[in-house]
Amino acid sequence: MNKLHILVLEDDKLAQKVMSAQLAAHDAEVVGDLPAALKKIAGGAYDIGFFDLMLGPDDDYSGLKAIAAAAARGIYCVVVSSSDSDEIIDRAYALGARDFYAKGNEESNVADILRKFIQNRKAAGAADIFTSAFITCDPETRAAAGEALKYAPTELPIMILGPSGTGKTSLAKILHEHSGRDGAFVSINCSAYTEDLLEAELFGHKKGAFTGAAEARKGRLLEAHCGTLFLDEIGTMSLTMQMKLLKAIEERSFYPLGSEKPEKSDFRIISATLEDPQDLIARGKMRFDLFQRVHGYTISLKPLSRRACDVAPLLQHFTKGGRRLSFTQEAKAYLEAYSWPGNVRELKKFTDLLSSGAEGRVDLQTVQRHLKGRPEGIAAAACPGDDGLYAYALAHGLEAALDKVSGDLITRSLRENGGKRTRTLTDLKISTRLLYATLKRLGLDGDGEKK
Amino acid sequence: MTNGKDNSLLHDLRSKCASLKSAAELYKDCSPAEKKEMLALMNAAAADITRLLAQLGQP
Repeated sequence: MNKLHILVLEDDKLAQKVMSAQLAAHDAEVVGDLPAALKKIAGGAYDIGFFDLMLGPDDDYSGLKAIAAAAARGIYCVVVSSSDSDEIIDRAYALGARDFYAKGNEESNVADILRKFIQNRKAAGAADIFTSAFITCDPETRAAAGEALKYAPTELPIMILGPSGTGKTSLAKILHEHSGRDGAFVSINCSAYTEDLLEAELFGHKKGAFTGAAEARKGRLLEAHCGTLFLDEIGTMSLTMQMKLLKAIEERSFYPLGSEKPEKSDFRIISATLEDPQDLIARGKMRFDLFQRVHGYTISLKPLSRRACDVAPLLQHFTKGGRRLSFTQEAKAYLEAYSWPGNVRELKKFTDLLSSGAEGRVDLQTVQRHLKGRPEGIAAAACPGDDGLYAYALAHGLEAALDKVSGDLITRSLRENGGKRTRTLTDLKISTRLLYATLKRLGLDGDGEKK
Repeated sequence: MTNGKDNSLLHDLRSKCASLKSAAELYKDCSPAEKKEMLALMNAAAADITRLLAQLGQP
């Protein structure tokens, strides 16, 4: 563990002793008054500062002055004080405090603060994940993933939304790697099992619990002890199974099939779904109480068609270490304009296909030949004037390009409005007739998804 | 209704009690030398708490 350089401003001798003991693994300096603190702040390079606010009897919260000075020098300021009125909390945060804790629970609070600080620093220095583990140069996606990483070291459950193939599992793995949890990353795709099998997979079973259970088997919940349980396509789980899972999450204990002895597991949940969870709840497909348990922080991943700037870096990444390919400008533009209904997963397969082909230099005709006959789905998020859209218009004609644009805009609006057609009609100022004609033409259902 | 003086006393009381609680939680994990030092500080804090309570009860 890296030692942190920490400053503690605390006037009470016993509290000083408590803080020193809690910070024994780090390089901590303790001062008891404001002038000493200001001198240390001006002359030292501290990672974290713990500040008491009232320093001595009848003091006018002089600790606040130290917060302002420390925050100005980039020190992560944490208030640990018995003065925790709303006004004081507000003033401390306004001056640059990052955390505020009432005194009296240092044993768990200080450890939490240090763990969070170390993980956040790790996450901040992990910008290279966007060029290795989770390739994206789309600013919106980077910001969303970066924000999610801040919650990685917490106990908060995380829900990842997005169409199939957008990298939900990759992101879940990265979140686990940045969680600081010692246990394993255990993934299960809920849609791949029948209800009975899913129950056996999650909770495990005793030998002879059911026909075919020749051996006892540990469930995924137990495998994820001290680690992360990633529930992919959670929306496909039956309501009965959801109820059983909810109980296991709430109690952190469960009964393997055929067993009368409960098992305990300290797992953190990350879940993913292709569908809008609110819509699932409205349709009675997801229990609201389970949703409440699994959606602490939610991140939405955009389809590849709405982050066309990622196509080129992904192509480069997929051919790294193997046969390198070169794309003509027209081919690149076409690929960026292509809808990629299978998202990153489809692009990967497409790159594999090209890599094993005859031509190392890939032109527009090669690309079109390989993509011909694929379900094109929704048009790419190209703007008028984009090279990609222009290339598409050259390849398919103006009318087809305009259809792609209208289809994309309507689909996007429906998605962003949770499938509510009336809102899309209002937002895009279009007639009901145009909406339905476009959906019918593109073979889309009312939620903007391909039938 | 508490006045300014009472507020200050109550703050000090909360602060001392909180430190005493944290110290008590930590005590079992201390080395014998640390325990001795900790106990002295805890006794001082307890004396402060008694004094503060007395002041708080004064008219």
